Amino acid sequence: MFLNIGKRKRSTALFAGVAAAALVLSACGGSSSGGSGGGGSGDSKIVVGLAYDIGGRGDQSFNDSAAAGLDKAEKEFGFTAKEAEATDGETDDAKAERLRQLADEGANPIIAVGFAYAGPLKTVSAEYPKVHFAIVDSTDVTAGNISNLVFAENEGSFLVGVIAGLKTKTNNVGFVGGVQTPLIEKFQAGYVAGVKASNPAAKVQVAYISQPPDFSGFGDEINGQKVAKGQFDNGADVVFQAAGGSGGGVFKAAKAANGFAIGVDSDQYNTADSAVRDVIISSMLKRVDTAVYDFLSKENDGHFAAGTTTYDLKSEGVGYSTTGGKVDDIKTKVEDYKKQIIDGKITVPTAP
Amino acid sequence: MSAMLDGDHKALVPMDSVAPARRSALQRMLLVGAAAFIGLSLIRFLTGANDLTSGGTVNTAILSAVPIALAGLAGLWSERSGVVNIGLEGMLVLGTWGAGFAGYQWGPWAALLAGGLCGSVGGALHALATVTFGVDQVVSGVAINLLAPGAALYLNKLMSDRYQNVSGSGGGDKQSPRMDAIQQLSIPGAEGPLKDLQNKQWFLLSDIAGVLRGVFVGTSILVVVTVLMFVATWFILWRTAFGLRLRSCGEAPYAAESLGVNVYRYKYIAVMASGFIAGIGGGALAVIAGLYKDGQTGGRGYIGLAAMIFGNWRPGGLATGAGLFGYTDALKSRQPDSVKALLLILGILLVLVGGWRLFRYYKQPAGFRIGGVGTVIGHWLTLAIGLAAAIGYFFTDAIPTELVSATPYVATLIVLVLATKSFRMPKADGQVYRRGAH
Repeated sequence: MFLNIGKRKRSTALFAGVAAAALVLSACGGSSSGGSGGGGSGDSKIVVGLAYDIGGRGDQSFNDSAAAGLDKAEKEFGFTAKEAEATDGETDDAKAERLRQLADEGANPIIAVGFAYAGPLKTVSAEYPKVHFAIVDSTDVTAGNISNLVFAENEGSFLVGVIAGLKTKTNNVGFVGGVQTPLIEKFQAGYVAGVKASNPAAKVQVAYISQPPDFSGFGDEINGQKVAKGQFDNGADVVFQAAGGSGGGVFKAAKAANGFAIGVDSDQYNTADSAVRDVIISSMLKRVDTAVYDFLSKENDGHFAAGTTTYDLKSEGVGYSTTGGKVDDIKTKVEDYKKQIIDGKITVPTAP
Repeated sequence: MSAMLDGDHKALVPMDSVAPARRSALQRMLLVGAAAFIGLSLIRFLTGANDLTSGGTVNTAILSAVPIALAGLAGLWSERSGVVNIGLEGMLVLGTWGAGFAGYQWGPWAALLAGGLCGSVGGALHALATVTFGVDQVVSGVAINLLAPGAALYLNKLMSDRYQNVSGSGGGDKQSPRMDAIQQLSIPGAEGPLKDLQNKQWFLLSDIAGVLRGVFVGTSILVVVTVLMFVATWFILWRTAFGLRLRSCGEAPYAAESLGVNVYRYKYIAVMASGFIAGIGGGALAVIAGLYKDGQTGGRGYIGLAAMIFGNWRPGGLATGAGLFGYTDALKSRQPDSVKALLLILGILLVLVGGWRLFRYYKQPAGFRIGGVGTVIGHWLTLAIGLAAAIGYFFTDAIPTELVSATPYVATLIVLVLATKSFRMPKADGQVYRRGAH
């Protein structure tokens, strides 16, 4: 147990060298991640492993959405769940080790949340050919035992782009991305296209909080607020954020500027801090929970499909939220665009 | 030898006798500052990068500078007493946790206080290791930097059940529940006219309006607290007998000992004060973000340390260093276009410095020139890089985004290189002191 913890947490290993007391600390700290699985019901043989991306449970966004899917399946099918979290700045080796550890503990299937697991999964899936893997947000790694769960984020982003284009009074809207990766550029591309479709005169300001390999932009509220404040100061009145844990800062900036913001992944009108909820006019929904649940439900029936499953507007894997009632007046127009996308009359670009 | 005498002289002679020299230095700094501002204004006017001096930029810059300035101020206290404090980053982390723990229950002011207390625990640890046990100061500091994030995360995990019960707050394993925002101050009636003036985009006048707006409208009270702490530090360390004794421990501890100063006690007070201030810096970070989050400090402790060295172990210079970093940080976060304008500023600056140095060099008759071939090449290189940067401005559409995010670091580096004044750290800084060893 001690050895495993040392491997899993680099920081722990370093600090164990500093003082013997630290060992006691980390042993206690590490146990909680495995603890949730310990009390599962004994009647099911299936143990589900889930490896989170940076932020983990509690990010009020991407990871929490995956956790919701897992919780639902756990309850419904009586699975036992083992969860593990990523730390900021860790290496691919650490990610691979996390997957191996889940597999060694008997987890099958194992779900890797986030494209960052693509490289490590390639190695680990070959080492454990009998384990079923699923990876969210990546098609970079394929194998007979990997199911790729991906989303048409550009389609959902198009719809919130339409909302921004219709709601802006200054003809100036903003996009704040967490980290400039192809995945987040997909959000940007759809959003810009949506704004241009509904309001050709509108200007779109685009900014990213950090550049890869620096992934801090997904969990940096302070910089999220700075970037968004810059856009509001520069005339924007609606800003869409695809920045994970940094999004809270964007909402705060919107509140301070008397502007509007659009959330991402979850329906953030329900999950964000209550002080800023009134600025969130909509959220681009990305149903990671649905994808995770679907995958586990199939697994429960004994089905496993390797290869890509895309969750798009048609399958309701992506969409937009209306909680709060701020977009009720334009809902018919947005629905019209939605229909055109589903019917194939509008093709939404995937890259800017 | 003369340098040592100089050091002792500065430390132990009352300030009145060196006042004239410092006044002229102050005047020179004001002059340089004014020239830099007019230059910035001109560039803003010519390039149309209006965000360079807008109220929003200035406001963001000042707030970004707050945690860095506090970290640097903490370093100043410690190092003035002769204890190198690499552990600032760790003390900042402890401060963020303390603030997160107190903030959601008792508000942002309690958060700052709790941050300070947690930070001073780190300070006490550092003092115990370095002052009492004579551990190498860098090693102890690094140990604190490694220990603090783990300890904070562990404490947070202990709290996580309690945190998760605070509904709708998002607290959990890696973050605390949210706290209320801290007050902002504005001078009544200033916003309207200043905003109008700024939007006119006139040369100089609009820039002044922008800066005033950034400073006096919507200023976080954290900024006021920080400024007060700087003034208090300057007064305590440079205008009281206590401060003189504290600094004497950093310059010549054995001389201080011979005059009856209890060096151990002063070092303890200084290092714990250092931890307290760094903790408030971390607390400020948590208050700005509204919560504690694992990995929140992002190296600001180290940057604060760099700002302190840049400021030559003095509060004014340190504030300038932190402000410079905050400014470039704000610019890159807001408008990539403005960063492009920085390229032009950089080019002009380098051309001026390089040109001025070459002029001084070649003004002397051939046999009397100061500096070897390397120096001359350095001057020419400065000029050439400056020209390249200025020309580059006109031939690039946009700066690669990867480069934009490095702006604050690059700008700080360049200014550090160009600042030709010779640094003088406290003479006994970093040395282990043992009572009666001399």
